[in-house]
Amino acid sequence: MPNQNGSVYGLTILSPIIDDEKATPSHDLQIRNYLAKLSTREESPFALAPGTHLARLVVMDDVIYVGMPACEEHLKSKYLIFESNCDGDLDAYLHGLADSIPDHLDAIWKHCVGYPGAANRLAFIGYMKACQLDTTFYFAAVNDKSVPETLRALQTQSAVAEFIASHQGADAATLQREFIRFAAHLKAQPLPKAGSMGPHRDIKTGGRNE
Amino acid sequence: MSKLNETDIQGFVLRGYNLPVARFLFLRFESAARARSLLARLLSHVTTGQRWDGAKPQSTVNIAFTHRGLAHLDLPDATLLSFPVEFQQGMKHRAEILGDLGVNSPVHWDEVWCEDGVHAWLGINGLTTEALDARCSVILSAIEETGGATVLGSQDAAAEVINSKPTTKEHFGYTDGFGNPDFLGVERSSQPGQGKLLPDGTWAPLATGELLLGYADEAGELPVAPVPHLLASNGTFMVYRKLHQNLATFRDFLERQAAAYAGGKEKLAAKFIGRWRDGTPIELSPDNPDSSIAQDPNRSTNFTYAADAAGTRCPMGAHVRRVHPRDAFGFNGQLINRRRITRRGLPYGRFTPEDEPVSDAEERGVIFMALNASLSRQFEFVQQQWVQYGNDAHLGNDKDVLMGNHGGRGRFVAQGDRSPTNPPFVCSNLPDFVELRGGDYFFLPSITALGMIAMGLVDPR
Repeated sequence: MPNQNGSVYGLTILSPIIDDEKATPSHDLQIRNYLAKLSTREESPFALAPGTHLARLVVMDDVIYVGMPACEEHLKSKYLIFESNCDGDLDAYLHGLADSIPDHLDAIWKHCVGYPGAANRLAFIGYMKACQLDTTFYFAAVNDKSVPETLRALQTQSAVAEFIASHQGADAATLQREFIRFAAHLKAQPLPKAGSMGPHRDIKTGGRNE
Repeated sequence: MSKLNETDIQGFVLRGYNLPVARFLFLRFESAARARSLLARLLSHVTTGQRWDGAKPQSTVNIAFTHRGLAHLDLPDATLLSFPVEFQQGMKHRAEILGDLGVNSPVHWDEVWCEDGVHAWLGINGLTTEALDARCSVILSAIEETGGATVLGSQDAAAEVINSKPTTKEHFGYTDGFGNPDFLGVERSSQPGQGKLLPDGTWAPLATGELLLGYADEAGELPVAPVPHLLASNGTFMVYRKLHQNLATFRDFLERQAAAYAGGKEKLAAKFIGRWRDGTPIELSPDNPDSSIAQDPNRSTNFTYAADAAGTRCPMGAHVRRVHPRDAFGFNGQLINRRRITRRGLPYGRFTPEDEPVSDAEERGVIFMALNASLSRQFEFVQQQWVQYGNDAHLGNDKDVLMGNHGGRGRFVAQGDRSPTNPPFVCSNLPDFVELRGGDYFFLPSITALGMIAMGLVDPR
C-alpha cells in the first residue's frame, strides 16, 4: 500500500513554482535561497513541528538532457519537491505543520502556484493534498516507532550505555541501588529535542567529499 | 580476463615482497629536465611484477609520485587536471574528511610532510641490511650524478626478527598482514576469504579495476583515471601513512582493563582486533589461539560473520570486522566489494619485549601503505566510515579501538554471552593508541608510463 508503512507515513508533494518573468530574482531562486539558510538541527522547522522523522525539500528545475540517444524532454514547470517520513495520519501532520511553523511554510510555498497560505487551514490542507503523489519508497532507517518514541529510545540507549560503562564490575547490591536511582532519574528527564541527537561534528559526505 | 602483463606493472602493486628491511626515500625534484634524466636512470632498477620463480632478488626498487611531483616533471596541464580530485589535493588537504584531526592533524606531522615538498617516493626493500644499503647507495649516486632530486628525508622500516627469523608482528604484539584481497589476473597464491564472497559461500577474485587503472572494476566501469589511457593503465594509487604507536599507553591500558575482564588479557587483546595475537581469527577459535588455524592458508582468512550477528565471538567493533566486514552487512557481502584495499606495510622503530619498560615518546610504529584504484571510494571511505565512525557496524559514533582518533573519549564494546569467560565488556575513555605522523597520496605508474614520463612523451590528446 502506498503512503503508509506501519505507523509511518510517506508524504511526497510536488508543487509547481510560479513562473513570472517579472519576478526578481525568480521564484525558484527565492525558494533556493530560503532553503539554503535553514538549520538542519534543533532549529530546523521540521524539528520544531511535531512528527517528522526525515524531511527533504528540493527545487527541481527541469529534467536534464544527457545527450543522444536520449530524447530531449522538458517539464511544464519548475517544481518544489517536499518529501517527509512522518508519524500518524496525513491530516494531523499537516495541521501540526500549520500550527507550529506557518511562517516557514508561507515563506517557502508562497512561491508556488495556487498556494492559499497556512492561515486558511482547510484550504492549506486541500492544497497540499492536491499536490500529493503516492509514496512507495521510504527512508530505510525509519523504523515503526513514532518520533517521540525514537527520541526517547535514543536518549535511553545513550544513558544506559553510559551507565553500563561506569558501573562495570560493581557488586549486585550496589548495581541494583544505583540502577533504580538511574532509572528514576532517566524517566524524569524531558524528551530530547528533535534534531539534537546527532553527532556534533562535521562529517563530509556525498558531493562534499569532492 | 587474460593474464596481466606483469612486466609492465610495478612489483610492489602485485605482491608483498616479504623482504624484511626497507628504506623509503622522499624526493623533491629540482629541474624537470634533470628529474626526467634521473627517472630514465632509475627505470632499469624498478622491480616489475614478473614472478621470481624461486630466485628472490637481494633488493627491489619502486617509485611513485605525488601530484606536485608530476607537475614538477612538467606533465601537461590537461593530464594533471584529469587526475581524481583527492589525488590532486593530497592527503594533508583531506584531513577533515579522513578525521585526521587533534593529535593526528597535519600541524603535528613530521617536518618532511609539512612543506608540501615531497614529489616522489622511492621504496627500496632488501633481503639484508647490506643488500638494502648497497642498492640505496647506487640509487643515491644516480640522484647525485643527475642532480635530478634532493632527498628530503628517509624512513627505515623492518620486520621484527624473532629467533633470527623475520616475522609479521607489529609493536602491539599482533601478527599482521593477513588477508589482502585477490584480484582477477593477478597470479599469487590465493586463499579462501581474500576476494569477494559469492552467493554459494565460496570466494572469487575481485575485478582487476579495484586495484589497477585501465580495467573494469566491480561495477563494470573503468576507474576514474588520468588521460592518456596509456599513462594510467597498469598504474594505481598509493596511500602512505606513518602511524606512530603509543606502546606504553597500549600496554598500560590493556593491563588495567584486563584486570576487570573475566576472559583474561590475551582474550581482551584478541577482541580488540578480531584475531589472537598469533593471528588466529577469534571468529573461528573464540576461546584460545590455535596455530594450526593461524598458519593454515585455507583457514586463516576463511570465515564469515553470519553465525555471529551479535558479535559474541568477534565483536562488531573488532578491527578486522570493521575494515573487512565480509558478509556482516548482508547481501552476500556485495556492499563491501568496492571498499577493499591492498595493504603493504612494515613496522619501524625498536621492538621491545613485554617485560621491558617502554615510553610513548620512542620512535616506533607502522608504515601503512595501501593500494587502490580509487583513493576516495576505497581508502578514504574505509578510513572515514569504518575506522573513524561506527554507524555501519551498528556502533553509533564509536571508532576503531586501536586506529581511532579518540582523544580520551572513545568507547569499545566487546559483546559477550552468559558464559563466565566471555562476558560483555565495555572499555571507556579510550586514549589515542596510534597517531598519524604524516604521509601523502601517490600515483604508482606502470613501467610504460614511467618511460613516457622520463622521456617527456605524455600526450593527453
